[in-house]
Amino acid sequence: MRTTFWKIALGVAVVVIAVLIDGAGVKAHHAFGSEFDANAPVLLKGKIAKIEWVNPHTWIHVEIKKDDGSKETWMVEGGSPNTLLRRGANKSTFPEGTDVVVDGYQARDHSEKRANARNVTFPDGRKLFLGMTGTGAPDPEKFDADKAKTLNQTEKDKEKEQEKKQ
Amino acid sequence: MRAQTSTVRTVECCGMMSGKDAALMRMAVEKILMAGMALAISLPLCAQTSAYRAPRAEGGKPDLNGVWQVLNEANYDLEGHNARPAMAVRPGPYGPVPAAQVLALGAVGAVPPSLGVVEGGEIPYKPEALKQKQENQANWLSRDPEIKCYLPGVPRATYIPQPFRILQSASQLFIAYQYAGAVRNIYLKDPGPAPVDSWMGQSVGRWEGDTLVVDVTGFNDSTWFDRAGNFHSDALHVTERYRRTSPDVIAYEATIEDPKVFTRPWKISMPLYRRQEKNAQILDFKCVEFVEELMYGQYRKNPLSR
Amino acid sequence: MRRLLTACTGMTVLLLVNAHLGTAQTATSKSNASKVRRTADGHPDLQGMYDLATLTPVERPMGAPAAYSKEEARKRESAAAKQRQQGDQALDGNRTAPPKGGDGSVGAAGNVGGYNTGWLDPGSSLTVVDGQARSSIVIDPADGRVPAMTPAARQRTMTAAFRSRPTSDTQESNDPGLEKAPGAYDDPERRPLGERCLLGFGSTSGPPALPDYFYNNLHQIVQTPDTVMILSEMVHDARIIRMNAEHVPKNIRLWMGDSVGHWEGDTLVVDTTNFSNKTRFRGSTENLHVVERFTRVDDKSLLYRFTIEDPDTWSRPWTGEYTWPATDGKIYEYACHEGNYALVDILKGARLREKEAAAPRGSTRQ
Repeated sequence: MRTTFWKIALGVAVVVIAVLIDGAGVKAHHAFGSEFDANAPVLLKGKIAKIEWVNPHTWIHVEIKKDDGSKETWMVEGGSPNTLLRRGANKSTFPEGTDVVVDGYQARDHSEKRANARNVTFPDGRKLFLGMTGTGAPDPEKFDADKAKTLNQTEKDKEKEQEKKQ
Repeated sequence: MRAQTSTVRTVECCGMMSGKDAALMRMAVEKILMAGMALAISLPLCAQTSAYRAPRAEGGKPDLNGVWQVLNEANYDLEGHNARPAMAVRPGPYGPVPAAQVLALGAVGAVPPSLGVVEGGEIPYKPEALKQKQENQANWLSRDPEIKCYLPGVPRATYIPQPFRILQSASQLFIAYQYAGAVRNIYLKDPGPAPVDSWMGQSVGRWEGDTLVVDVTGFNDSTWFDRAGNFHSDALHVTERYRRTSPDVIAYEATIEDPKVFTRPWKISMPLYRRQEKNAQILDFKCVEFVEELMYGQYRKNPLSR
Repeated sequence: MRRLLTACTGMTVLLLVNAHLGTAQTATSKSNASKVRRTADGHPDLQGMYDLATLTPVERPMGAPAAYSKEEARKRESAAAKQRQQGDQALDGNRTAPPKGGDGSVGAAGNVGGYNTGWLDPGSSLTVVDGQARSSIVIDPADGRVPAMTPAARQRTMTAAFRSRPTSDTQESNDPGLEKAPGAYDDPERRPLGERCLLGFGSTSGPPALPDYFYNNLHQIVQTPDTVMILSEMVHDARIIRMNAEHVPKNIRLWMGDSVGHWEGDTLVVDTTNFSNKTRFRGSTENLHVVERFTRVDDKSLLYRFTIEDPDTWSRPWTGEYTWPATDGKIYEYACHEGNYALVDILKGARLREKEAAAPRGSTRQ
């Protein structure tokens, strides 16, 4: 039986999305498999030197201290900054010198000190942008279907809801 | 003059005409407006305040809606200059000649002359900054962001020689540029400082009489003002003024302030002309596609010769 | 002189206020739909900022009803919320690097795990139209799926040549990877339009404008008497809809097609043709024809409905609809091309892989 290309593509997409969702909470984006080397994992513990709040991906520059005491700066690739800006982030939110822990994989060109920001956390393990995700994650136990039905929650409504829960 | 002065005093004193006159005027106005026109009545009084009084858009402000474009050489070089062999030159035996990379363009790659658009003639660079500008100009091919189809910033977006459309309603003000699909939403209520730097900056507009004044801040340092290497830092603050002076002309001014680069604020000015063609509109100039060979061609599986 | 100006301005404002009140009253009595705010020319005011993010997919999942019951809707929205929470959970600050050989994430994650879900904003609820929590955006055909392609279109889209070129509806997550689609990294032109920063992923600007299931779903509408503009956040694309105008000549093609609009009562009808041959929305040709309908539902939302037809692609037209809720959020600059370090690394990475694959055994690798 002939199926269209699009039915196949849909099937693949559904599977891909399903697997991504079941994964360890990390979401994927374009071509990461080509950009980064799965055989070159990295763990960076250092300080934020600079954040490039740019699209399509934010680049966080992390300065680490190598074993020999010398310093090295890595660029790690995150997502689009716009969502975070709408949640109140700005260029001063994570100042220079903030301690972070980043795990990921290095760019295929190992001469480049670049990696994907697979996980970016503070030293205590909290995800860097956790404080900002309070706008869209209602407690499943207390979820109000009628409220969701209106579906016209503005950002303000979401903030109010979050405040109520805290 | 005296009769007019007394009328002015009446208006100024009472805020409106006498009751009977006001009622009559309101009826007349309503009749006209019922027919669907939301234009202001041009009173004899008002006709004397300026040479041209623009029709009003919804919201009561001068109507800037339309497709506009400049007719000048500002994008080549804001300062006055003679014609030049090319935008990238090298020393020849008797003076500069086009650089090798642009030689094949011949006269198409030459720079036309201009009296300049900078008030006072020269851009007031700090000495170190002037060196930077000269270096920029000498390395135009590798440094001008326009070559890579990067967003042009403000005010360069205005005088890139391609049309742009101003959209104005009672609640919104927006400019869509044909070049690189650049856009600017002009906030009519100040949203506070821009959270991060951007190529086109953050625009906040207000009306001073019949002049639209736009404050633009929150720039990054990556755009240039023209193809001559004129540049700025992330401290740039641009103040634009748009004022209609005839049915088809907007008088445009931009004041540039950047204490990291210039010794004082400076100003450029130029007319913006309404495109007269019946179907004047902006089309696609998505130049990102056109620079892929330049920027990524070497990474093809089978690169073309360079 | 200034007093004269002030007087003039004051007078003008006064007259306009009177006129506006007068006009508004007229429009209200004419239309009987006084709840809908209107522009001075009497048409519904569609302007504002909208967030199109939704959990509702374009096509209906197998076996799903057209509209979910309250219970089912609640379950799905809870599940999505739970995933978000899981993604936001703290890790061990003293964790080690991820496993060599990859972390097992498949597809576009490319075995390297992408980035944290905290960066995303995929929508937290199903779209509600006429009080129904919809299971799909497509409503016609009745099964909520895009109709079958014509045999000719099927042949066309199954060729390697077609599949090596991107289409405008490609999602961020649709990257078959180096092994599954050979040649997918040979040239920039083979990469998704969103990755090249030519258009946003997933037909976010369209037309038809579809939700992006990752983020940046904000759209802004500006409405003047002769033009309506819709700005999509990605990639700062401003679609200009010329009211009561004719389409551009046949040889003029545009990435978002050429849109002309007119009002049918309180509905803005937008007709788009003249698509470029580079977008191939869902496999279609440049003869794609999209008709959209925008209606203001209430003060905070629009109903967006679109009909797609391309006799060279689908056996029949198909229609979708979903709600555009207003948002207080702002659209920020999405200067994609200007920050596109990734594309260089993607292509370079592919070249390195090819070199490694071609290297004789025993040679030193970087």
